[in-house]
Amino acid sequence: MSGSSRGTKSEAVSTAEMEKSVLRLEVNYRGIFQKSLAYRITNDLVYAAHSEGKTAFSNGRYSDDPQRNGVPCANFAFFSDALSEDDLEAVASASMDIDRANVVVVLDDTMVKGLEPWGHYGIRPINEKVIPGGTLLIVSRRKPEELIRHLEKKTFDYNIAILPGDQSFAGLWYYRDDATDVRTIAAVARVAPEIVGIHSVEEYVKKKYNDAAKVKSLQEAYDSVVVREVKQSEGIAWPHSKPKLPSWDSFDEGIVVKSVERGFTLGPRGQNRNPNFKRGTSKTQRPVIRFDTCIKCTLCWYDCPDECFDPTADGLYDVNYEYCTGCGRCAQVCPVDDCIVMVDDLNFEDNSSPWEMYKRDAEGYVKWLEEKKGKVRFMPSPVTGKGVRHTEIKAAVPFKQDGGN
Amino acid sequence: MAQGWRGKEAIEMATTTGVSKEEFKNAKLYKSVHGIDMEEFYTSGHRTCQGCESALVMRDFVKASGPRTVVTGATGCMYVANTSYMTTPWVVPWMHTQLGGGGASAVGMAAGLRALMRKGKIPDEKINVINFSGDLGGGDMGLGGISGALQTDYDMLIIIYDNESAANTDIQATNMTPWGAQTTFTPTGSKKRIMHDKWKKNVAPMLAIGHPNCKYVATACATFPPMDYMNKVKKALSIGGPTLIHTMDPCPKGWDYHPRYSGDLGQLAIKTGIFPLYEIIKGEVNYTYDARKTKRVPVREYLEKQGRFSHFIEDDFEFVQSRVDEMWNDWEIPGVAPIKGWLSVRR
Repeated sequence: MSGSSRGTKSEAVSTAEMEKSVLRLEVNYRGIFQKSLAYRITNDLVYAAHSEGKTAFSNGRYSDDPQRNGVPCANFAFFSDALSEDDLEAVASASMDIDRANVVVVLDDTMVKGLEPWGHYGIRPINEKVIPGGTLLIVSRRKPEELIRHLEKKTFDYNIAILPGDQSFAGLWYYRDDATDVRTIAAVARVAPEIVGIHSVEEYVKKKYNDAAKVKSLQEAYDSVVVREVKQSEGIAWPHSKPKLPSWDSFDEGIVVKSVERGFTLGPRGQNRNPNFKRGTSKTQRPVIRFDTCIKCTLCWYDCPDECFDPTADGLYDVNYEYCTGCGRCAQVCPVDDCIVMVDDLNFEDNSSPWEMYKRDAEGYVKWLEEKKGKVRFMPSPVTGKGVRHTEIKAAVPFKQDGGN
Repeated sequence: MAQGWRGKEAIEMATTTGVSKEEFKNAKLYKSVHGIDMEEFYTSGHRTCQGCESALVMRDFVKASGPRTVVTGATGCMYVANTSYMTTPWVVPWMHTQLGGGGASAVGMAAGLRALMRKGKIPDEKINVINFSGDLGGGDMGLGGISGALQTDYDMLIIIYDNESAANTDIQATNMTPWGAQTTFTPTGSKKRIMHDKWKKNVAPMLAIGHPNCKYVATACATFPPMDYMNKVKKALSIGGPTLIHTMDPCPKGWDYHPRYSGDLGQLAIKTGIFPLYEIIKGEVNYTYDARKTKRVPVREYLEKQGRFSHFIEDDFEFVQSRVDEMWNDWEIPGVAPIKGWLSVRR
């Protein structure tokens, strides 16, 4: 991304002094399916800022590539109304990651449960980089309170902004333009007019797309953003340990990586797994299982590419949600009607074993599960950019008393 | 809604296939999905995509070969996804080798083990040596090394996992990429709709025909028909000498489809006949799923479910169908050897 002007505007100014005019923006997205979308957003913001005479550039997080489906990734954009491009790059870029951001954009609301990108150990909070008074801008259909209960408690006040909308899985080769790109840009202009004003955005979008519908959705998004302050008392104590990478002197001779120790027993968590990278934050939906209607065909376990199913002594298959990436293959292959169903991961609080819960109280488990599932089922079309089909079921499959035994 | 496309048929298939032959009586083939070993030697916590079929190809080969296995992996997405940043999901020993180094690394490993056993430095026992190379690492770049390995007398299995692109580096075309597919090298455009105008390289028969001492070459798909792939691994390891399996791995990232449908696409690739499923045992071709018997499904059903073919027009669907028809109707050994299909003696 080229800046608006090269050369030096400011000479012999300290980094701390230059830092004052820098504004940072982070866009968190799901790898591959939201990649094109995230790049459109940061590109367009940079060009719109250029039209205001600002210096700006954007880049992707280096360690995210090669991207994998669902893995949380990030793009960054940097803005300044005082620095030259060279100075802005000197101050803001040339690092693998950023440590603070004025605006943190989240394109998929299930990321509030934590991030586990490629190049890190452990699960990080989504609001980790928000600065005091900064904004966490989330594309979501949920209320701010429903999302705040998953966020880490900060030591200062900041804002949460909701742009009403669905997770847009726009696709890779087939790109579906559902206006999430311009809507997000408008929302950024709303929560941080110091980055770019809505009029500049509007002019830019008019010129780039020449599409009245795009401009209309821009205005609609600008008006529909809900902003609310998050007090430092709000949020949760982060339940995961913060990532810690081994330093160069802690490596073994050569490049030796310790393998997973062999170990298997029947039952929940009976299989030894990679303790250092779990990957569960890749999911937007989780499979929920009706153990009472299960016919023990083994296909969910057989087809799971992440080895998340634990065979139990009674022939059922427990699922380890810490490692489940939510691909949906088990739900697709399950031959029993409504037995494995993919449900929004935000409906759930923890990753505890569903099989243990079922064993404690089978009927209670099924009742709880059906409440979480609701009546609407989601079926994505095979080509990702072509949307999701929603169907409503009339009634849940009744509880089967002696099932699963 | 949760009704998979496989449904009852899959369960039926899962409990009827995998009948052991006399020549594989020592292979301990799986006869039912309920008999499959439950312990994992390639376990959870890897950096693969959601719905990754190649991860299943890895998990299943090591499940079938058991804990006394050493694996070498050529560079590719299945290397990067499984040992990056100092963590790994492997339980058995695994070694990384260069992009084209699959064959040579397997030979070296097998030779090293044989020498150590001969000298009495390690106990004399059967240790399976398996190399895992991608379509670029195995089918294109590493072909020479694999050819060399197949001419040795060491016991080893080479698996070419074929996701039809260089998927690790964000989807570049390889010679195994199917005709017409979009990749970052071959995007569609207004001047030229089809950038990738080459037909997929037919690598398994090429290696089988060219290496008459190789006793076992097979094609497979990890999940369809159930157990078929794992039993092929068991057959390959029990028959002795260098062997090869070429797997068809639907890739949600590069083929641009929802990860949920990986299993369905693998199944469709076989049912449409676009990827023939067979094993060549000492020169004899045995179709393990004969698409002709189930009245080949039109290839359109397979192609239209992938974003990489979203630019196809009617002519393109017809062209692919005609090539697949030719493969099954005109080839001397349908789906395997295209002697009569395109080769003839000049008069």
